[in-house]
Amino acid sequence: MPREIVFGDALIPGLLVLFVLSLVVLWLIDWVAGRFGLYRLVWHPSLFRLALFVCVFGSLALLLF
Amino acid sequence: MSANEASEALPTPRKPVVNSLTEEAGIWLFVIKTLLAYYLTGWIAMRLALPQPSSAMLTTIIVANRQSGMVLAKSFYRGIGTLAGAAAAFLIVGLFPQQREPFLIALSLWVGLCAGGATLYRNFKSYGFVLAGYTAAIIAIPVIGNPPDVFDSAVARISEVLLGLLVSGVVNDTVFPSRMRDVLRRTARAQFAHFIGFVQRSAGGNVARDAIQNMHLRFVRDAVTLEDLRSSVVFEDADAHARSGHMLLLNQRFMAASTSFQSLHHLINRLQRSGQDVVAQALLELYAPIGTALDTPIEGGAAMRVLLPRLVTARQTMDALAPALRDRLGSDTQASDFDTGASLLSRFAGELHAYVDTAAALQSPALPAGSIERVRFTYGVDFRDAGLATLRTTLTMLALAAFWIGSEWPMGASAMLIATVFAGLFATRQNPTQAAGALAGGYAIGMSAAFVCLFFVLTRMDGYTLFVAGSAPFLAVGLLMMMWPSVAGLGLGYSMGFVYILTVKNTMVFDPVNFINEAVAQVVGVSASAIAFIVVPPAIGSRWLRRRQLERLRRQVGLAAKAPLPGLRHRFESVNHDLFSQIVAQTELGSNDSRSLLAWALAVHETGRALIELRNDMMNGQLPSDLSRLIDRAVEALARFYEGPDAATYLSARDTVSSAIVAASAHVSARPLLDHLQLIRLGLLDRDSVLADYMPAAPMAGEIDHAS
Repeated sequence: MPREIVFGDALIPGLLVLFVLSLVVLWLIDWVAGRFGLYRLVWHPSLFRLALFVCVFGSLALLLF
Repeated sequence: MSANEASEALPTPRKPVVNSLTEEAGIWLFVIKTLLAYYLTGWIAMRLALPQPSSAMLTTIIVANRQSGMVLAKSFYRGIGTLAGAAAAFLIVGLFPQQREPFLIALSLWVGLCAGGATLYRNFKSYGFVLAGYTAAIIAIPVIGNPPDVFDSAVARISEVLLGLLVSGVVNDTVFPSRMRDVLRRTARAQFAHFIGFVQRSAGGNVARDAIQNMHLRFVRDAVTLEDLRSSVVFEDADAHARSGHMLLLNQRFMAASTSFQSLHHLINRLQRSGQDVVAQALLELYAPIGTALDTPIEGGAAMRVLLPRLVTARQTMDALAPALRDRLGSDTQASDFDTGASLLSRFAGELHAYVDTAAALQSPALPAGSIERVRFTYGVDFRDAGLATLRTTLTMLALAAFWIGSEWPMGASAMLIATVFAGLFATRQNPTQAAGALAGGYAIGMSAAFVCLFFVLTRMDGYTLFVAGSAPFLAVGLLMMMWPSVAGLGLGYSMGFVYILTVKNTMVFDPVNFINEAVAQVVGVSASAIAFIVVPPAIGSRWLRRRQLERLRRQVGLAAKAPLPGLRHRFESVNHDLFSQIVAQTELGSNDSRSLLAWALAVHETGRALIELRNDMMNGQLPSDLSRLIDRAVEALARFYEGPDAATYLSARDTVSSAIVAASAHVSARPLLDHLQLIRLGLLDRDSVLADYMPAAPMAGEIDHAS
């Protein structure tokens, strides 16, 4: 995957695209977890979500570098 | 002995101390969290070398709130508004890169339209609109002299705002989050307990009209509060998000059940007043099983579920009881009145069961499988009010633009920017003139504090840590003020003024002359937007708007009579509740206005619901064409009466309903319709209701029995 994406005449960092993508992934996970109440099993749900997001975004970003 | 007494007495005086300490701790937690988000944002923005770290930092102040859910909801709509505003800025700059007059006119129009759009929504959605308006101005005005810069300006603005939102969101969501979910749960449970308790208590006897009015007020407030909370909590919590549909359904069912409940009590009261005590008594007896079924303590846990089988039993008892009670009545008139009440009662029992069912489902840890009925809470919107907001904001902007061009004031851009921001922020307030005054005052104080901080403290400070140490005490004052209800507006103004004028940058510039010029321009901008609200008075709270809202409330009957049926019941209920709560918020409780309003609201509510049920039954049943024509005429006459109430339309409504009843009683298949029509007729003849003003002076003999 290229590090910068040309959109119109503007260069968009690939990281930004991945960031949005990870937000979508997190939203999907949220939807599933909310449906089945999985976050109840976690001590600090929002911290867990944040950590999960960092993992998702980090591992996707590794594709770039 | 005395020592014993002392130790027993201790908890009582200790309690207020503990309570106030908990309260204080919450306030300080808010201050610390906001400061943390503020400085973290500033630090990251400087590391990333964004052109204006201060606007990222200002974002954290604007979205600051004690409740995490509020911060997230506001951030979400702020993000969307910023993106939309950036797009609009591109378009405007692209269309008029060289002509300043069309440019400023287009910009004023866009800002005005956004301010108008904001009045069509509630909560943070309207905030998103406001933001779309002024973001365009923030991006476009600084590049007016050099259009090609618009792209950089937009990218910078978007990154700054999104960075501020991201940091605020993360800090508020992870550092000692204060959850609104608990508030929502408490509110929903209180609503449930209150409603069930009320239904159970009133099973014993009649409820006075005053009590019904107060109850209606309370129910409407409950329903609207719950919807407000729900719309923010969904951002906070995945569980709440998954339950959002259930919450909506719960609220709709609550509104439906409470409306039927009120109709029922109105009916019983009317029967008692018109000397039909026997019928009223029979209905109360029929009602008794519901009271017994609900007579069980409901506290926490899975207890709501225990009500369900009890309610089913109650309904069976009622079905068995009805024929016996009916046989006891003497005349046909009484029997037909009883039937009307019995069908209303069974409708209410069904709705109550549905409501309890949804509440129990929400309580259970895992959501029941399968999809649920999709409903939405519809708001009552007024396009004329939106037009007024558009006009006011556009005029403010145009006046400032003309002044800027005419005077060639170098600081005109700053004044215009600030005016845009504040005109938008105030547009949706309840009492904008006062809010603008408080904010403008706070703004001036904040800027003075910034002067002291910048030129006496920060000049001696070097490095980010010292900057934090030097400015945090000043900012903490404003944040603390935001938490005291009496000076909240002043505090917000202070914080915004302080942060905005400080314009923190990587390399700080200390220029008192520029600072004072900027301060004067900003004060002019804030004052201009405050003056605009005096010149073009805010529609909110005025007599004119109240009259119009009352008209719209009455026109709801027309909606119930004419609008397409699918989903109409939810639409009718939620628009009714929204309109009503808007008007209530703007009238003084206990005043003449508020009394007539409440009386109208009850009449509209009852008649509208009966009309919808009538139309539903008409759709489902096979009716002879002459009968359905008669009923249609009655429905139309009712809608006409509520749209323009006077003696003539009242008479026509009353007579068409009566003749429809005569026609319907001749058909066996029209039995359910007859009940709804009877209910409407009894409502029309009620001399205690607001309709009494339009009735002929003395009741003619036989008028009451005319159709029965």
